[in-house]
Amino acid sequence: MARGRRQVQAISARLAAAEALARVATGRSLTAALPAVLGQVAPGERALAQELAYGALRWYPRLCWVLDQLLERPLRRRDRDVHAVLIVGLYQCLDTRIPEHAAVSETVAAARALGRRRASGLVNAVLRRCLRERTSLQAGWQALPSARYAHPDWLLARFREAWPANWEALIEANNARPPMTLRVNRRQRAREAYLGELQCIGVGANAHPLAPDAIVLDEPVGVERLPGFAGGAVSVQDAAAQQAAVLLAPEPGERVLDLCAAPGGKSSHVLECQPALAELVAVDLESVRLERLHENLRRLGLSARVIQGDAAEPGHWWDGVAYDRILLDAPCSASGVIRRHPDIKLLRQAADLDGLQALQKRLLAAAWPLLAPGGMLLYVTCSVLPMENEQVVRPFAAEREDVVVRMIDAAWGQATDHGRQILSGESGMDGFYYACLVKQ
Amino acid sequence: MSKLNILQYPDSRLRTVAQPVKVVDDRIRALADDMLETMYDAPGIGLAATQVDVHERVVVIDVSDERNEPRVLINPEILKAEGTERSQEGCLSVPGYQDTVERAEWLHVRALDRHGASFEFEAHGLLAICVQHEVDHLNGKLFLDHLSELKRKRAHRKLTKQSRLTA
Repeated sequence: MARGRRQVQAISARLAAAEALARVATGRSLTAALPAVLGQVAPGERALAQELAYGALRWYPRLCWVLDQLLERPLRRRDRDVHAVLIVGLYQCLDTRIPEHAAVSETVAAARALGRRRASGLVNAVLRRCLRERTSLQAGWQALPSARYAHPDWLLARFREAWPANWEALIEANNARPPMTLRVNRRQRAREAYLGELQCIGVGANAHPLAPDAIVLDEPVGVERLPGFAGGAVSVQDAAAQQAAVLLAPEPGERVLDLCAAPGGKSSHVLECQPALAELVAVDLESVRLERLHENLRRLGLSARVIQGDAAEPGHWWDGVAYDRILLDAPCSASGVIRRHPDIKLLRQAADLDGLQALQKRLLAAAWPLLAPGGMLLYVTCSVLPMENEQVVRPFAAEREDVVVRMIDAAWGQATDHGRQILSGESGMDGFYYACLVKQ
Repeated sequence: MSKLNILQYPDSRLRTVAQPVKVVDDRIRALADDMLETMYDAPGIGLAATQVDVHERVVVIDVSDERNEPRVLINPEILKAEGTERSQEGCLSVPGYQDTVERAEWLHVRALDRHGASFEFEAHGLLAICVQHEVDHLNGKLFLDHLSELKRKRAHRKLTKQSRLTA
């Protein structure tokens, strides 16, 4: 194949961010939409394109409200691309330090590149009016919770109900840029030694006080800059997710099962912490995601038995030998990691929660028979909604006589009736829930 | 290594459906190396064995700007394709003609590497387009076949006139 003329011409950072946003607005996740779009951006502009896409999504509910105030009549459905360019423009005007003239002129240029008649004039008019009326707009969104907190109303209501004392801090964390946290591979390096290596290349970092292998970077950097990354010295993983291996704490010679394992962050941490396992079996449904698990294990120099299978249907893949420890990282709303995946604000609907809870209950019930007597199952979600956590574990523990809840004694999070909850942003961590269930 | 001759449209040999590679041996590795050299020299970002008149399922690709990420795909299979994307394509066998083609924007691909080991990867953007373009070649298909009848005929007239003039 020869390169097409238009492929040589890169698209601008603004246009790329708008394109990613438009794809998310049609139901795709940002993680799926962004790489394809970034590929068309000149390498030097990719970081800006990514920052604009994430930022515009982080403030999306507010920016949509602002746009509604500034448009004389609503955009038509087929003007989704123009809508996306406008949102990216408003984000630059309201929430970044990009000089006003650059924000306006570059976004107008992006609108022109869409090739839509009158789009560039509209973008110019809307952005200039936004800058003129900024003060009164700010006063306006203070009065409207979804715009003020930049979250959909249904999610705000759930957070308020679940965490009456902490919901504002939680929301503030959801709207903040997350730290980049590393996990040092303790088979290769001590954490202190790796902090030294980072210091040598001028990357500011600190040990996380509540996770033994975690290092928090002052500023995010590309993984290719991290010493020894390709050779498996470190992985990128939030400190909250690193509690899984600490809590699971398998003994030498034990058999461990990781359900819904891909992309394998927790599995590989368990293997790094306990080299003398009899076996670690990692199960996931999606072959594409399992490919990433294989990649991670390869990079870290670890091995596991990887099975493509449905965790809800162990009959299809289980060999009948019980496991000493089971890690069930259940699919969830991801309401605890909104700061890392701001597209959740658009993609997740209140109606999804019932289905997710049913799935979580099914997975827990399906996993339990695979656990040996005396063994422990660790139930994990990256959600802060009790509906996916306590309300899954409580009825399960109440219905079965062989379930003993082991309370988690830790310096992080807060105790709930059956487990422990980390609220998003607490000690710099993602929002996670853990419950330890021991079989009698 | 040696540079190979690239068949030019409307050469009917471009319509041959290539056979799967049975054994990845030194002969196939030498073919892949020659194809890479031919592709880099052209310059192109992908080349299928069909285009150098070898009718076995071998493809080479490098879509990187720095021209330092050569990929060899033997017996490539597109396991999954999602989304649509329109972009302008050209072809080393159809020089001087470019047009917009609609392709899937995301692929899950399986192939053998130069050692005969099976591997899988996901592709999007230009890589996804290029994989589809090259797999088409192995099936005797050209990007022109994706155009509307009117555009295809116009391209055919232009290209055959060109080849008569250079013949």
